[in-house]
Amino acid sequence: MTQETNVPNAKLTRRTVLGTAAAAATALATPFMRSTRAAGAVAPKGKMVLAWHSNIATRWLDPQQHDGTASGDNFLMALHDALIKNFREVRYDHPALAERFEFAEDAKSAWFRLRPGIKFHNGTPVAPEDVKWSYEHYRGASGEVFREKTQGVEIIDNRTVRFHFKEPFLDFPILLGTANVCGAGWIVPAKYYETVGQDGFLQKPIGAGPYKLVSQQPGVKLEFEAFEDYYRPVHVKNLTMVSVPEAATRLAMLERGEADIMYFVPGELIDRVKNNPKLMLAPVVSGNWWLEFPGFQDPKSPFHDKRVRQAVSLAIDRDAINQAESGGMGQVDGNWINDDVEYALPWPKLERNVAKAKQLMAEAGYPNGFNVDWVTPVPNYYSRGERVVAQLQSIGIRARLQVMERGVFQKKMEGGLKEWPGVQIIMNATRIGGTWSNWYDSMFKCGGFQARDFFCVAELDDKFKQYLASYNANERRNLAEQIQREILENYYFVPVFRHAFVNAIGPRIVGTKWQDVFPTYLTSGYPYPWEDIQLKETAAAEK
Amino acid sequence: MGQFMIRRTLYALVTLFILSLTIFTVVRLTGDPVTLLAEPGARAEDLDRVRAEWGLDRPWPIQYLAFAQNIFTGQLGKSFNYQMPVSTLYFQRLPNSLELAFAATLISFFIGIPAGIISAVRVNSGWDSFGKVVALLGLSIPGFWLGLVMILTFSVWLHWLPTSGQGGWRNLIMPAVALGWYFAASLLRLTRSSMLEVLRSEYVKLARLKGLPGYVVLAVHAFKNALIPVLTLAGVNLVVMINAAVIIEVIFAWPGIGRLLYEGIFQRDFPLVQGVVMEAGIMIVVINLIVDVLYAYIDPRIRLTR
Repeated sequence: MTQETNVPNAKLTRRTVLGTAAAAATALATPFMRSTRAAGAVAPKGKMVLAWHSNIATRWLDPQQHDGTASGDNFLMALHDALIKNFREVRYDHPALAERFEFAEDAKSAWFRLRPGIKFHNGTPVAPEDVKWSYEHYRGASGEVFREKTQGVEIIDNRTVRFHFKEPFLDFPILLGTANVCGAGWIVPAKYYETVGQDGFLQKPIGAGPYKLVSQQPGVKLEFEAFEDYYRPVHVKNLTMVSVPEAATRLAMLERGEADIMYFVPGELIDRVKNNPKLMLAPVVSGNWWLEFPGFQDPKSPFHDKRVRQAVSLAIDRDAINQAESGGMGQVDGNWINDDVEYALPWPKLERNVAKAKQLMAEAGYPNGFNVDWVTPVPNYYSRGERVVAQLQSIGIRARLQVMERGVFQKKMEGGLKEWPGVQIIMNATRIGGTWSNWYDSMFKCGGFQARDFFCVAELDDKFKQYLASYNANERRNLAEQIQREILENYYFVPVFRHAFVNAIGPRIVGTKWQDVFPTYLTSGYPYPWEDIQLKETAAAEK
Repeated sequence: MGQFMIRRTLYALVTLFILSLTIFTVVRLTGDPVTLLAEPGARAEDLDRVRAEWGLDRPWPIQYLAFAQNIFTGQLGKSFNYQMPVSTLYFQRLPNSLELAFAATLISFFIGIPAGIISAVRVNSGWDSFGKVVALLGLSIPGFWLGLVMILTFSVWLHWLPTSGQGGWRNLIMPAVALGWYFAASLLRLTRSSMLEVLRSEYVKLARLKGLPGYVVLAVHAFKNALIPVLTLAGVNLVVMINAAVIIEVIFAWPGIGRLLYEGIFQRDFPLVQGVVMEAGIMIVVINLIVDVLYAYIDPRIRLTR
């Protein structure tokens, strides 16, 4: 990566702490990079409609309020842009508004050089002051982490900013650049935001993304128009995102040509899409599902015995669950952490062997099985919980399914073990971007947001502390892999499968395979980059 | 009359107070909305930040006072999800709901009242049996099923009508029929029974004995009198259709108040749910109050009784 002469980084030793991220990102992105001049060469035309699967929350239009969910980034990617972001195969550090960046060897600073001539939708240039303001005023998910670790943001010149950290901040680029985790790296026009305030910004948001918002019906519909000053070519002139909560209606829209992309095809409608030659399924492999045993450390719990946990693993028919729940389009592998995050440990598919499971149950002193008070799946995926209950019966584990509303489930998870008395199995799931440590920190660590006092394996938590304190990439990788290996070998968690977020594509969109329309599928369930989606000639010419 | 009106107004205010307390409590019993505003893996500090930002860390009585204050100022609070005043959202959606509700009411009138009259006039005939079947189907077929079947038939197969959304009169047909059919069935039953009762009355017999033509007896003497309970029911139906057409509005992606309520419940958006329920409650209470006063004005016996 060429060093800019006006970037004062003499004190920084060049090397990549987190791999050769920027260089690799630039290389990978080369076919997709365009200059501003190239953007002008494409005349956006036609209209594309996305049938969104729930209501549209207005707060998703403001990156300053990023709630850490994987929903908001669908809208951010159209309306706004970030310094760096996940983009196609690049997981978090693809240069976007920043044409180049560097992370210091000691992980205590980072600088970003903005592209020349980039603008917001209102015509004002994207300036380092906007970067500084957006970062310093960011109050969304993970905002506290940035505030705690950042010493200051320095404007070096009219295109360059440098971030100074109080201590080594190794996760900085991952957090900054993963659109479905955090919005601190997404740039809003500072003066405009200050003038209109948060509420005014939500009514008329202005960004620097490929599409500008033309009108909105809160919760119902967003109408965008191509931003022709964007630094990459935007192919479709008008983009409409319309909220259609009912899946059958969304599919009818796609079949009739009223929509071009629909999100979330439920299992019962998958065959209808498959049988329609004009439509294409886009099964984006998404979050991981696993079984966990809160309170297994208690010697009175049957799950205290590793052999019982292993027997549970051996009794689960993962392929059958994948087939029934995701039309076979999910992924059955061995780890409970998605393989699309940093330091995720590849693990072979777990064996199913009911005879061996029964033998282990007998050796553990449960030849006739035992009762489990409740199996509780993450709401509202109750049918997969029912499948687990049925499969456990094959080794004598008699369980009942517990269903609850999502908010109640979350509240109970936050409450820790006291909320889960008796013998319990939770069928948990998540999709967290960035790095494996986000998963461990939230889902397993003693005191973690969804782990609380459920597991508390002191030895692993100590290793995790070492991991967090280490600045050595090799040591961090080793520790990450050790921790994951021990969780899997001891069956503290029993991975089930990665389900598929099944979408569908209509006949007006250019693409021979679904990955052409969803090229960022490694990190997102949505069809980024929006500006790359093209309509067929006949569709683009329609009025 | 003055005392009667004061008494009724006080009843209405007490009703609204109880409603506000009930809805305030019920939405909070469903749990903490913050968990729906953040991702499943959100950090505890992120949740605390959101909780404080929305005032959910304050005691319930303080939260109720803020809610009550918002009712009096007409703002009804600010939606968690949309970050807009609930009253703005409500009044943005109200015209859409009115449009749908009036269209559905017209459909229910055009189907329910003539069919009810024919059933009553041709009682125990084939027409009557047909009317009974229509009423039975209307009351028993779920609106969501009817809506989906209509979408498949008229949009996907026949390509006659758009599937959903708001756009023009063609977008209105299917949701209005799906919503109106249930109410048409109830109007049919009420019109039939009301007409049967009136047709057996002495003054209708007298009109016939006077030698008046049958259509005059029906139109002038029977129908007008039979219409009073029908119109009362239609008024109540209209309020229900405006505020609670949740399923039809969701199926047809119709941006009305019912869908707004659904979105509020789904996201546990306390201010939104409270606001929509209060607006609906105020609408019903005010309409009832007006009807009570009108009845009392027409019939002095009503205002003289407690």
